[in-house]
Amino acid sequence: MITLWFWLVPVASVMALGAAYYFFKQMMKESEGTVTMARIAAHVREGALAYLKQQYKVVGIVFAALTGVFAILAYVFHLQNPWVPFAFLTGGFFSALAGFIGMRTATFASARTANAARHSLNAGLRVAFRSGAVMGLVVVGLGLLDVAAWFLVLSWFYPLDDSHNLIVITTTMLTFGMGAAVQSLFARVGGGIFTKAADVGADLVGKTEAGIPEDDARNPATIADNVGDNVGDVAGMGADLYESYVGVILASAALGAAAYVHTGSEVQLQAVLAPMVIGAVGTLLSIIGVFFVRTREGASSKELLAALGRGVNGSAVMIAVTSFFILWAMGLPNFVGLWLALVVGLLIGIVIGRAAEHFTSQAYRPTQRIAEQAKTGPATVIISGLGEGMLSVAIPVLAVVSGISMAFYFGSGYQFSTDGIGLGLYGIGIAAVGMLSTLGITLATDAYGPIADNAGGNAEMAGLPPEVRQRTDALDALGNTTAATGKGFAIGSAALTGIALLASYVEEVKIAIRHVLEKGNAYAFPNGVEVSGDDGIVELGRFDLMDMMDNYEVVLINPKVVVGMFVGAMLAFVFSGLTMKAVGRAAGLMVDEVRRQFREIPGIMTGKADPDYAACVRISTKAAQREMMLPSILAIAAPVVVGLIFGVPGVLGLLAGGGAAGFSLSMFMANSGGAWDNAKKHIEEGHFGGKGSEAHKAAVIGDTVGDPFKDTSGPSLNILVKLMSMEAIVVAGVAVSFSLV
Amino acid sequence: MKTYLYLSLIPEALVASMLPPDEFGSYYAIGSAKRSRGQAIFFSVDRDQLSTDFFPLGDIDDRCVPHADGSPKTSIYLSIYRTLEHIPTSALLKLHLATEDGRVLTLSPQPYEATSDAQIHLFQEFCPVSPRIVSRLDPQEFTDFITNPAQPVNVPRIVFCDLTLGALHDDPSSRDIDDLPYPNLGHLRDCLRELIAGPVKPTKTVMRQMTQDVLFRTVEHGFYVGDAQSLVSFPMPSKDRLEREYYAWWRSALSTFGH
Repeated sequence: MITLWFWLVPVASVMALGAAYYFFKQMMKESEGTVTMARIAAHVREGALAYLKQQYKVVGIVFAALTGVFAILAYVFHLQNPWVPFAFLTGGFFSALAGFIGMRTATFASARTANAARHSLNAGLRVAFRSGAVMGLVVVGLGLLDVAAWFLVLSWFYPLDDSHNLIVITTTMLTFGMGAAVQSLFARVGGGIFTKAADVGADLVGKTEAGIPEDDARNPATIADNVGDNVGDVAGMGADLYESYVGVILASAALGAAAYVHTGSEVQLQAVLAPMVIGAVGTLLSIIGVFFVRTREGASSKELLAALGRGVNGSAVMIAVTSFFILWAMGLPNFVGLWLALVVGLLIGIVIGRAAEHFTSQAYRPTQRIAEQAKTGPATVIISGLGEGMLSVAIPVLAVVSGISMAFYFGSGYQFSTDGIGLGLYGIGIAAVGMLSTLGITLATDAYGPIADNAGGNAEMAGLPPEVRQRTDALDALGNTTAATGKGFAIGSAALTGIALLASYVEEVKIAIRHVLEKGNAYAFPNGVEVSGDDGIVELGRFDLMDMMDNYEVVLINPKVVVGMFVGAMLAFVFSGLTMKAVGRAAGLMVDEVRRQFREIPGIMTGKADPDYAACVRISTKAAQREMMLPSILAIAAPVVVGLIFGVPGVLGLLAGGGAAGFSLSMFMANSGGAWDNAKKHIEEGHFGGKGSEAHKAAVIGDTVGDPFKDTSGPSLNILVKLMSMEAIVVAGVAVSFSLV
Repeated sequence: MKTYLYLSLIPEALVASMLPPDEFGSYYAIGSAKRSRGQAIFFSVDRDQLSTDFFPLGDIDDRCVPHADGSPKTSIYLSIYRTLEHIPTSALLKLHLATEDGRVLTLSPQPYEATSDAQIHLFQEFCPVSPRIVSRLDPQEFTDFITNPAQPVNVPRIVFCDLTLGALHDDPSSRDIDDLPYPNLGHLRDCLRELIAGPVKPTKTVMRQMTQDVLFRTVEHGFYVGDAQSLVSFPMPSKDRLEREYYAWWRSALSTFGH
């Protein structure tokens, strides 16, 4: 029977969506400023909408095809739960909706932020931050809504008084995580290609070739560049974090169902509900945190940063305190250990965020060293950026492995023995939930960044007075600082969720074997153990995670595992290579178009004729749709192909290899790209020769190389890793029934 | 349509055009269809003060006519080589600085007044030759020195600007030179040390000729045109004023790489 705790989830969802609606209405009441400001914002809004419409058409076709495949697997071959096609669709729909609402809000907010900044820095902050909060609260609101709705529906069909049913419910719900992951992959890859094609194209012809400043209305690609910030950094990020958020909650719930399967359904139910309840309470605290972000009129940048920090950190501290009482009140065994695991999650999120800031901010030595290398030309900038980026991987990886170890230790009842592996993994899941529990406000600081960035672009193009541009620059700089922490939480949670999903995969494999047995067939494990009939089902239920590892011979000397690991690691690189090359090709098309317009439309440079902004948006849109297909299909196909050939051990190897390589490569690319970008800014601030110097020229080349690193390939890798895990879970039945070797 | 005369410094030429200064600067920097780019520095010239003996001005109004489609004639070269020396300083009405993306800033002349008590100066000459030099002479002294016919090396008239030396002005070995974009700073330091160490030599050449555009942000006080009789300065507005009143030009000036 559903307990009262559960109802916190839909309540928090409704409150989050209500608060998002309130903030949206407040933002819309603000003026867009001058006619020019409104016109520029309209161009960006139209471009972003045109892109998303085209993207949703393409993704809709992919979803229709995949839903058809899942329907065949579920209803013809009976290899899957019959709910999978529907859950898959809702996950994709809500992920897309979260990105869409966030992007629409951002495109309405940029001119309003610039206009508010004409009055004061604080006014600009309030509009930008609360618009970012719309995105944050919509993501968590829709996430909790999807989770609550599916839990209610499935608990109707699978009564909660049966322990096995809770495992079925939670692993079924995980499949809507796959829908979200597929949608977010397309959003991230497509958005990433769009934004960097426009950015690199605009820079190469505009800045480098034509000598036009950034965000200059004469550059035909400048609107596409601003559109790209919205479709990549806002819509892509919204879809991505929606997937992370529900993925973390669902994976932890599934681990709870498995870990507490023998403790009685009441405790097991509480273990399933705990991640959802923590997420719900974190959402309520996020709403409170948003109201903490306020300061006096005429506040300095430092005061504004303190205000943002108060909102984010205040929410984190509150969730750390309240979750203790939640876990205690829910009556979970070892609630202190689980709470400690949650605190560990929060701490490693902060460590990863700080490490990213250290390696990418021009306030610290690594980025300053890259800038200094610019004195000797672009080659040393590239070498130095690659080196610093590789070094930057150490702290996040060590933080994650420390977090995994500690969360496992606390969650398992203070031991490292595999006897408590299920509980230990649940502890890891709770740590990840802790990290993302206040996503509502941490995502607000992330989404606030592109809004402030676009506001700066709007102020530039509209020719607002210098004090306004200084304020929008200050808002942008604030966003960069706070976003580092938000990204730390997102990346850290992705790594922890990867571990949790490995365990969920094994649970799904058990369910797939049970389907085989229920059809009257026997099932033989690779180690020779065979199960069949009703006794087999009972025996299967007794197998814990370590038994399953034994049965599938998941050891490092098993070639199937090793092959899977190598393929997984390779995929991370191939995927990155494909997305990087896609940006290069798309940027080439943009360069051609910008050159064509300069050639064929006289008067652009003198301001007597308007460039054809829409043509550049169309080129980026088309290129993004075309170029995102191959890497996305590769990501979707890999777990199926490996499962079909090497079976469950191969898939586990694939997930482990892909996870380890993908996480490290993602951190490397994101940090290298960020450091190159800020090394250029460091020089522009008046170091090593300043603007126009040879060092500046070299740093611009580094920044251009880093663009697809940090905004296309790096962020997409996280989704690749999670999508492969999610998909492996969804198609576990295929690997169980059809593996060749 | 009115016909304007411009004295271009890069290259040295007298040009007739039907474009007013802003449009001519834009055209001169980027061409008519954005196929070219390049900084332009030119003066508006008072036609009445030019010598018709040297410049072929007689048929200028017949040559400088609109194209068949009605568009204005953009440029007719009237003279190249040794042009500046035939134009009196009083005929140079305004100085126009065009960025490489075609934004134009116009500077007005005023009689030279010493603006600082700096002991060392970095000068970029534009016309008729274009070396970059360091000098212990201020702009007036330097003009007198370089236009003095008694000197073995002299020119009849000169256009130059002073560039910022930052902390190098007081200490050629200073490490606080982060915002100086000049190539080969080591050589500049050597030149400054040599100038300070050997008081007999008033100037020292840093670069024999201008190899890339001047970054306008490095112009210290302004531009100077002088000969043995007069010196006229065209002061640059302050950075704050550029930021506030001429933002579009200033932003372009900051975005250039000095190709």
